[in-house]
Amino acid sequence: MQYCSACQTALASVVILDLDDGAVTGSQHLCPTCAEQLGVAQPKTPPKFSAEILEDLLGGLQAPGAGSAAGSEAGNEDSAAETGSAGKPRRGAARQQADACPGCGMTVSEFRSKGRLGCPRCYETYRNDLVPLLQRIHEAQSHRGRLPGRLAAAPPATDERDLAQLRQRLEDAVRGERYEEAAKLRDDLRRLERGESSEGTHS
Amino acid sequence: MSGNGDDTDFDASDFDESGSDQSGAPEFQGGAWLRGSGPDSDIAICTRVRLARNLVGYHFSPQLAEEQARQLRDFVIDRLQKPGLPEQLAIVDLDSIDELERSVLVERHLISRELATSRRPRAAAIDSDESVAIMVNEEDHLRMQVFESGLELDGAWRRAERLDDALMQRLPIAWSEEFGFQTSCPTNTGTGLRLSVMLHLPGLVWSEDIERATNVAQKIHLAVRGLYGEGSRALGDFYQVSNQITLGRDEEQIIDDVRLAVGRIVTWEREVREALLRGAARARTLDRIHRALGTIERAQILTSEESLGCLSALRLGLEEKVLSGFTVADVNRALLLSQPGHLQRESRQRLDPDERDERRARLVREVLRVQL
Ligand SMILES: [Zn+2]
Ligand SMILES: [Zn+2]
Repeated sequence: MQYCSACQTALASVVILDLDDGAVTGSQHLCPTCAEQLGVAQPKTPPKFSAEILEDLLGGLQAPGAGSAAGSEAGNEDSAAETGSAGKPRRGAARQQADACPGCGMTVSEFRSKGRLGCPRCYETYRNDLVPLLQRIHEAQSHRGRLPGRLAAAPPATDERDLAQLRQRLEDAVRGERYEEAAKLRDDLRRLERGESSEGTHS
Repeated sequence: MSGNGDDTDFDASDFDESGSDQSGAPEFQGGAWLRGSGPDSDIAICTRVRLARNLVGYHFSPQLAEEQARQLRDFVIDRLQKPGLPEQLAIVDLDSIDELERSVLVERHLISRELATSRRPRAAAIDSDESVAIMVNEEDHLRMQVFESGLELDGAWRRAERLDDALMQRLPIAWSEEFGFQTSCPTNTGTGLRLSVMLHLPGLVWSEDIERATNVAQKIHLAVRGLYGEGSRALGDFYQVSNQITLGRDEEQIIDDVRLAVGRIVTWEREVREALLRGAARARTLDRIHRALGTIERAQILTSEESLGCLSALRLGLEEKVLSGFTVADVNRALLLSQPGHLQRESRQRLDPDERDERRARLVREVLRVQL
């Protein structure tokens, strides 16, 4: 538990990470009031993830309906761990989450306050907390892409007509500056080029 | 913030005055950042691939006890020195060089400021072209960086991929099917890939289109930030576009995202530059460029902010064939050498900000050969 670095009186529930190139170079812990005053409590629309402000991510891991964030932080480590794992219906919620990582000894509360993992095994230990965190950061929960042992996949044959049509729509979207649409079309195009029929066939 | 050109950033308080001994650090020639070549190099300065990797059996670097951190560093260095790596890397012992030398490496984008100032046992492995740099025991056990001049996404990626393959063969890298490469911070989990392109966008800044242009990137979850200076203020019109999302998108998709946004921004910048040099706008643009040249020629004191602004205008003047007498590579060199670490190393002493501003004015004139 940590006090707000702005007012030094209330308990901090919002952590702002200074990111450089994805590396955390510093962090600021704020209470909800100060965070709001500093204009960091609410993400600017559109609701995209901004690396500068991983605002409230860690607050978001606390049990919902716990009232003020200060209240939910006030408990000792054990009770914080309990509310955290029991509060939210999520994938694998039935599984009991350990209080400390057997790999590195990092505790639940340490993980929650830092938002960092202590060792590769933390990924399994804190999976329940981690998956929603990853969802908020990346809008995804699992990996696509290279790994040792499956470094390359040969692109199979595909229907040329579909490809041409998609390319045309992609070009139109770019020209019309509809970039979100363009990015989606481009992904579809790639999948088709690889001979995948739909999203998520990789795993 | 690494790569930060701001004067206040460099803290020389415990700088060793006997800095005249330069034997510790290898003499770098200046790599991909400086060449001013490569595809779209009128606007894209440089492409960077960064991969975050960790070893199984160790805590992540920030959690490592000193003895384990040393063990890990020595183990990694040993493996890096085994023959067969696709890159020729020199190991830089960051403890045996002084703070100024480390600052120079930071300003050359070869190591991060975090690694430079870290107290944990650490190292860097850098090739003589300054196009590959591996940081050991930064936030992750390994941070590989590959640089290519200009907009060279595929080339930079292929080179990084080869290096990654080689490292995965000689080091036990931590990964899982579900989460991909496991990293210390969840913002890097998955591919561990951060792909960045450094862009010079004076046209978009001068025409005040920059915000709309950067929205293009932000819409598809890319980050745009100033290359120099603090926060969102981009000194000298230099920007860095990089992916934020590392999980759920494969490397090819990430490359495509960056290509889509950067391609659009580059085209836009070109259109705006053309407009700025046409009709009624032309006189104002030329005035701005020549005033910058006048300042560089005459100024006796140059803050880093003013220097970046002037050098940006000169770079635009060169790219648009409005100026001659020096090259884009000269401007890039002036940008690099006028940063605090380089300035102080060159004069072999600690300088206060006023002294740096004076030296900066002289150095930029010398590099550009615009002595009156
Ligand atoms: Zn407060
Ligand atoms: Zn752990």
